[in-house]
Amino acid sequence: MSSQALSRPLAGTPVGLRSLRKWAVVALALAALVVIAGISTDLAVFWAVGLTFGFILQRSRLCFASAFRDLFLMREGRNMKAILAGMGVASLGFAFIMQKAVPDPTAGALPTQAHVTPVGVYLVLGGLLFGVGMVVAGGCVSGTMYRIGEGYVASLASLGGILLGLELAAHSWNWWYAVSVGISPIIWLPSSVGYAGALAITAALLLAAYFGITWWESGRPPLFTPKKAAEQAALTFSDKVAQTWRGIFVKGWPMMSGALALGVLNIFAFTYQHPLGVTGELSSWADRGSSLFGWAAPPIAGASQLAGCVLTAGGSWLTGNFTLDAGVIGGAFVAAVLASEFKVRWPRQRRRYVQSAAGGLGMGYGAGLAVGCTIGAFFSAIPSLGLNGWIFGLSLLIGAFGGVKIIQRIP
Amino acid sequence: MSNFLDVRGEICPYPMMQAVAALKKLPAGESTLEVLTDHAPALSTIPWEAAKLGYEADIEEVGSPEWKITLRKSEAARDAKAVMARMQDQLAKLGVGQE
Repeated sequence: MSSQALSRPLAGTPVGLRSLRKWAVVALALAALVVIAGISTDLAVFWAVGLTFGFILQRSRLCFASAFRDLFLMREGRNMKAILAGMGVASLGFAFIMQKAVPDPTAGALPTQAHVTPVGVYLVLGGLLFGVGMVVAGGCVSGTMYRIGEGYVASLASLGGILLGLELAAHSWNWWYAVSVGISPIIWLPSSVGYAGALAITAALLLAAYFGITWWESGRPPLFTPKKAAEQAALTFSDKVAQTWRGIFVKGWPMMSGALALGVLNIFAFTYQHPLGVTGELSSWADRGSSLFGWAAPPIAGASQLAGCVLTAGGSWLTGNFTLDAGVIGGAFVAAVLASEFKVRWPRQRRRYVQSAAGGLGMGYGAGLAVGCTIGAFFSAIPSLGLNGWIFGLSLLIGAFGGVKIIQRIP
Repeated sequence: MSNFLDVRGEICPYPMMQAVAALKKLPAGESTLEVLTDHAPALSTIPWEAAKLGYEADIEEVGSPEWKITLRKSEAARDAKAVMARMQDQLAKLGVGQE
């Protein structure tokens, strides 16, 4: 084939109209903020957090699925190293927040909102299933949501699978609770070694993981060598403003900046109410949907004793978690439009839709079982200083390895 | 005459995997492959994997958002560090780079 077909105009829409469209999208997101703030402050705060969350993910292309997957697929760990750094920042902030809530961690109490869950077989199974599913679907739950905002149609199939998986998990949860969740121990590091000790252990583990990945990558040249400070001697103030604007809204961010920003956002969310998490709310969407068909989930056993992305049966639409999840999609959409990266993308092969839905199903069930996804049960759990975040992360790693073997066999 | 691969619409990470498969299957004597993609993450993964196979990459924006990546067999590609530095410059110019 020749390259003739490629020579066509850069874009179909006149530039003036395109920038009008960009401003309209930003105005819409902000107008929604004002309207939501009129209903309740909580809803508005989480809408803003969600927008920021989606914006960060889209700009830095921070993808938890590829962070695990590319360690095997490309022997490349820049994404994962950024996430480890983000969790390091969040750990510090989380420790201060938890220390205020529970000054003496050895007394037996847990900070109510920290993402600390029992460590048991259910967590490993959930992580394995989630790890396979996210690689097969080409994105984890938050990845699926930000890709929807960018116009990836296959991600809608993933979301359908995720919702179905969460609902199936909600219907079988009480069995899992009886055989594993309810009888497994909660291992919260500060309860035995105090906050300083728990932070030291977490920092040591994060550093070990960081350098472990560096070792794994070694023998290959670094994908992205740090850039020398730009030659910007004679820039005027307005040049600098324009440059900053482009750096934030138009150009891609370095993954490390994205992950650190996400760590700080997580501290903010926890300071305000609770750490970031997306799947608890999605399970509530799933259950409200299936109730319409007379297939509502039974009450979730132990829900009041668990924190984080606990499966939710029923629930109402007007919650902070709803505006958070909707905000992730909205924020990614705003970011994609501003950077001219929005496009409705239809995979031409039908098996991609099946693949995305099947991966979503595995992720949904896995997240339901493990009380969260790569965000709630990993990115928010390790900084909560529980052992569960690490066990879930290791299970994701093994699951992702399996997922890579599977996608290499799907043409 | 160059070989051409259209991976638009594909989900992650198939643009990269299909480009690598196509490079490995290039007929003897052929040394160029053009890849058309609308998947921004592929702009870093395709040149990276191609460099491992001895190809260097040129990226051109041909739509919004669509890019053409031209992969050429080259001795210079053996110096992966130089290839990556060049690719980063290109991405920065296109405004999609992650410096």
